[in-house]
Amino acid sequence: MKNWKIKITTLLAAIGLVSVSTLQAQNKNVVKETYKVSGNCGMCKKTIETAATKKASDAEWSEEKKELKVSYDPGKTNADEILKAVAYSGYDNEKYFAPQAAYSKLPDCCQYERSAKALASNKNAYNKTDKEQSPGSQQEKVALESVYALYFSVKDALVKTDANTASSKSKELMNALSMVKMESLNADQHKVFMKYVSNLKTDAVSIGESKDISKQREHFTTLSQNMYEVMKGIKPSYTVYLDHCPMFNDGKGANWVSKESAIKNPYYGSQMMTCGKISETSK
Amino acid sequence: MKSFRILILFMLCTLNQLVAQKKVRYDLYVRDTLVNFAGKEKHAYAVNGQIPMPELHFTEGDTAEIFIHNELRTETSIHWHGLIIPNEQDGVPYLTTAPIKAKTTHLYKFPIVQSGTYWYHSHTKLQEQSGMYGAFIIHKRNAPPMKEYTLILSDWTNMKPFEVHRRLHMANDWSAIKKAKIQKGAVQSYGDAIAAGSLKTKFTNEWKRMLAMDVSDVYYDKFLSNGKPEIEAPQFKAGDKVRVRIINGSSSTYFWLNYAGGQMEVAASDGMDVVPVPVDRMIIAVAETYDVLLTIPEDSVAYEFLATSEDRIRNTSLWLGRGTKQLASPLKPLKYFDGMKMMNDMMKMNGNLDDMGMNMSLQQMDMNVVMYPEITGEKEEKKDHDHDSRLDNDRYNSNALSDIVTLNYAMLKSPVKTTLPAGPTRVLNFTLSGNMNRYVWSIDNKTVSETDKILIKKGENIRIVLYNNSMMRHPMHLHGHFFRIVNGYGDYSPLKNVLDIMPMETDTIEFAATESGDWFFHCHILYHMMSGMGRIFSYENSPPNPQLPNPEKAIKKLYKDDREFHFMVQNDFASNGNDGEMMYMNTRYNLQAEWRLGYNDMHGYEVETHFGRYIGKMQWLFPYVGIDYRYRKMGIDEVEKNIFGQKNTKDIRQALCFGVQYTLPLLIVADARFDTDGKLRLSLMREDIPLTKRLRLNFMGNSDLEYMAGFKYVLDKNFSLSAHYDSDMGLGGGFTFTY
Repeated sequence: MKNWKIKITTLLAAIGLVSVSTLQAQNKNVVKETYKVSGNCGMCKKTIETAATKKASDAEWSEEKKELKVSYDPGKTNADEILKAVAYSGYDNEKYFAPQAAYSKLPDCCQYERSAKALASNKNAYNKTDKEQSPGSQQEKVALESVYALYFSVKDALVKTDANTASSKSKELMNALSMVKMESLNADQHKVFMKYVSNLKTDAVSIGESKDISKQREHFTTLSQNMYEVMKGIKPSYTVYLDHCPMFNDGKGANWVSKESAIKNPYYGSQMMTCGKISETSK
Repeated sequence: MKSFRILILFMLCTLNQLVAQKKVRYDLYVRDTLVNFAGKEKHAYAVNGQIPMPELHFTEGDTAEIFIHNELRTETSIHWHGLIIPNEQDGVPYLTTAPIKAKTTHLYKFPIVQSGTYWYHSHTKLQEQSGMYGAFIIHKRNAPPMKEYTLILSDWTNMKPFEVHRRLHMANDWSAIKKAKIQKGAVQSYGDAIAAGSLKTKFTNEWKRMLAMDVSDVYYDKFLSNGKPEIEAPQFKAGDKVRVRIINGSSSTYFWLNYAGGQMEVAASDGMDVVPVPVDRMIIAVAETYDVLLTIPEDSVAYEFLATSEDRIRNTSLWLGRGTKQLASPLKPLKYFDGMKMMNDMMKMNGNLDDMGMNMSLQQMDMNVVMYPEITGEKEEKKDHDHDSRLDNDRYNSNALSDIVTLNYAMLKSPVKTTLPAGPTRVLNFTLSGNMNRYVWSIDNKTVSETDKILIKKGENIRIVLYNNSMMRHPMHLHGHFFRIVNGYGDYSPLKNVLDIMPMETDTIEFAATESGDWFFHCHILYHMMSGMGRIFSYENSPPNPQLPNPEKAIKKLYKDDREFHFMVQNDFASNGNDGEMMYMNTRYNLQAEWRLGYNDMHGYEVETHFGRYIGKMQWLFPYVGIDYRYRKMGIDEVEKNIFGQKNTKDIRQALCFGVQYTLPLLIVADARFDTDGKLRLSLMREDIPLTKRLRLNFMGNSDLEYMAGFKYVLDKNFSLSAHYDSDMGLGGGFTFTY
């Protein structure tokens, strides 16, 4: 009988030991780490944590500190995988910047202010509406670079049949036209610019004030023609193409300027995206 | 005297040096190795201890001297892909070059007469899939220095390539089940169809006798950039314009390419320069090379250059620059049922494709566009096409449907004239043909071994008009020549050596016949090539090839590749008996056996063996002869009757039979046969109807009033759980073994 008791106690002790050691083993296998993750609201918190827990066992983001605490089993995943998942959901962090498309898809309230580096890094990305050149960037050698960039933004918005963006970019274009530093232009360039600037402004204002895509497109015909004349006189640092759409305006046709050789028609958008052809090239 | 000797010695030295400057020697040691790319140790081939094979560099004008030391127990070969070289150096074993036998060394020696991005790979069996591919870079003479990086992409499977090939011929859908673990709906089962509200689409698809199809049919465990899932190139700084030389060294994977740092400027293809063209995304076909110029926008950021397999199951990346990693936009999963609906619209009942008058060519129209969320939106499309204003012309043109610029062949322009020299022009018309269900790939419905070599004359211009009447795209590669793609740029048509041709496209390529000997023209998807999709161009009056003393005997070895028989066996170990079948088949012939073995004499033992030949392009018709054997003990006075009133009382029956099978819509196989006892039997059967990801339904019924219906639940690539009801043996359950 006594023997039995001893046996049972040893057995129990053994079980206890085993379970304690597995507990410890589990604890040993969990790593806790903290990483910087951008974001700005309660909704961000939820998205970030959901994305992180695709890989991590536990995740908590602090809005105040902009920090994400994660726990994970290093045998199964790693910090890179977790932070990659977070970036794919739209949030920049210390290892990964989110793709521009993922950031733009975030609801308005979640569009946190991106760091200067992330912003600069994304400026050339897929999402063309965000493709403008920020002033002070490397390509600011040509005085009208930001004017040109904004023209292309207006064009891209029209390609997408997005009247709101076309309007806001056109307003910015108006500002940029007023802010051109005349002293950086030589005599010939100055002459060209003065010849077209008032007409450019008129069309920019008209597009900016309208939310009607067909009105905007009408003004875009003259805006494009004048802009191309300016570009021929004050050459941008890249090749531009004058494209022609023969159908617009009841068959009278219309031109636009593009940085790409591929045709993307701003007068019809997706209705007739590749209608048109290159009529002139300026290098 | 002494001084004279020294002079001679001196002269010899300088001479040596002069020659040495031009000669570039490499020694490549091919060995068996074990690698762990995807969680398991697997056999592979390493050259100089590495996968991919070493990057070889030359300058135009050099002479290459490459020693291949074959330390394998099997033979091997090396083909120099895209190089203009003497025929006996081309490296197709048994066609242009002697195979490199086990434990021997072979010297390849040839002048380098061109520049650009090329590659080299084994042309023996399926060796390429197991690691035998590498970059072959030729620099221009006196070219201004430029930052560059070589990236060779490849696909890796833990399954033996031989197994991959065998399973493709068995229409086994295990690889779709594996894909479904990553991407929901990849099996495209009836269950998936109901969930996607596309039941009618799935039904029509099977009505037109199509198996669930994907843009690629092999499941790969990993995709590799220079042999790694991810690779870093931190040496680049902001403002650098890097020439990335991309080689698709995959056996069967096309990759979509996109870059986190902005647009990519395409500067060369298959080694030849093109007028730079900026694009947002592009596809690189198997065996193609592209040089793209990538700009590094900022310092302290590493930009992702992302290569995603066409089926979008996995990807691999190169990081350019050092710092926080800027991710590229990942490609969203394919919308399978939109793709299936598109295929239904284009498939005629006779198995031919109908382009609905779109005159497709040069990758401009991509029907798969209906499956790309980045072009056609995220949701599966359910709108009524009749009310779509931009119907027809632009319906499949990704550049017309979105603001994203996708590269296609119509955008490639040569910077120099590529006009062919004056000479007589011969036009050859090829129709690419294929049969998905039996994985037969051919040209004009004939494999390499079923056709003669195509004789051409030196001095001729050969124009090939290719039409793709199969359901998959094919990267067609011509050895030893560049061809022009007639793409609307006239004198400036681009030069390439691989043409990717999509289903229903018609493309025209042309080349000047300037060489001699035999040259292979084939689909570069390894498993399509091994199934026979190709032709051999043979120059008339070529001098004998010293590498092949007996060319007639040699070519038979090459023909063996597509004549290969594949073996498959399946047995259901059930509580009420064994049901099984076996097949041993090649392109046209099939030796089949079916058996039903009970556990007692009452249930009986039955074996039927058939041998037959598949007829027609789609191979729906299969006449056969066979032998039946049956033993069963029936009760006294028990008589078996069929629906024709024919009786059978024999316990032991041996008979010869003649019959024909025909695949009906919905993939139901009808079988009609009569035997030497005068008995007629009709039957209908269908195997492996995909109900859900892993659940399959089988049924059979015949005019002997025998019937069977059963379910199978696929556990892994070899085992399934099964349950069925059989009119002879009753209800049974067990497991099925499939090889």
